[in-house]
Amino acid sequence: MKNQIVSIRRRALAASEEHAHALRERFAGSGTLVPNLISSPGSGKTTLLEATVRRFAGRYRISVIEGDVATERDADRIRALGVPAHQVLTGGACHLDARQIDGALSVADLMPADILFIENVGNLICPTTYDLGEDFKVALLSVTEGDDKPFKYPAIFSRAEVTVVTKADLLPYVPFDLEAVRGYVASLNPGGTLLVVSSTTGEGVDEWCELLASRLEDKRRP
Amino acid sequence: MHEMGIAIEIYRTCRDTVAEHGGGRLRQVRIAVGELAAVEPDLLVFGWEAVVADTPDQGAALTVDFCRADQRCPACNQAKDRSEGSWLRICPDCGTPLEVRGGDELDVIEVSFETDEEGCP
Repeated sequence: MKNQIVSIRRRALAASEEHAHALRERFAGSGTLVPNLISSPGSGKTTLLEATVRRFAGRYRISVIEGDVATERDADRIRALGVPAHQVLTGGACHLDARQIDGALSVADLMPADILFIENVGNLICPTTYDLGEDFKVALLSVTEGDDKPFKYPAIFSRAEVTVVTKADLLPYVPFDLEAVRGYVASLNPGGTLLVVSSTTGEGVDEWCELLASRLEDKRRP
Repeated sequence: MHEMGIAIEIYRTCRDTVAEHGGGRLRQVRIAVGELAAVEPDLLVFGWEAVVADTPDQGAALTVDFCRADQRCPACNQAKDRSEGSWLRICPDCGTPLEVRGGDELDVIEVSFETDEEGCP
């Protein structure tokens, strides 16, 4: 018996991050833009995706990976619009991992795609830590959740390149200080972008789609 | 609670490291967790204990070095501490966005183990 101490400096999530790295290379090769949508349950991720798919119909090839604890409901909603979608069922896990994205791509016909959306499991905490090979994270915050969410869950709002305030059509009916949220998100994430959207009325959806289109163009620029 | 999943990943990384060095039983593992890593050290240790239980590595200890982020205000040209538990990236004195380095560590830094063989040179 001999004691050995090995000094290493290895990312704790190295195995998962290797998969994320390989995915990022693959998406770079195929020129596919990959946004990773993160929010609490019920903030309107799937509804925003439905509005986006309608807006981009005939312009871009879109596919979607949905993460949920149970049911195919979200993937069914996307498929109903004629867009390929694969549902990852986590069976209780609170986030998606790069290996599950790998798995989804190998079992489902999602590629080639111009934009591959990943809709993470509804959770503002755990998905923050996991790299899925995405181009950027998008944090959604619905006005009905309250304007204190960026204060209470700062990690995701500091890491998401884009914050989308959703359900903006309900702003007149709920106490939600949009300017305070704007200021706080800007201080958490000085380089980030904040959009205000209503998937129901279409407010801000053009701006969101323009952002995606311009990011796709940037990615494909030689 | 994503700490459980992270504990499993740390365990895999440690087992890989031990295997690369001839195999053996884990005794102690040191990791670095940054203040901005969104990982709770106590929950991570709790998860670790559950992960190594009923394995040959049962009882191996996980120790956590908690790392502060290095933050500077470019306007004041000084290091600034953000207040305890705050994620605000602005200078508490002048409001300029801080330059933040590190603080997002989630690294395995040292793996101690007992090798199986005797008197290895």
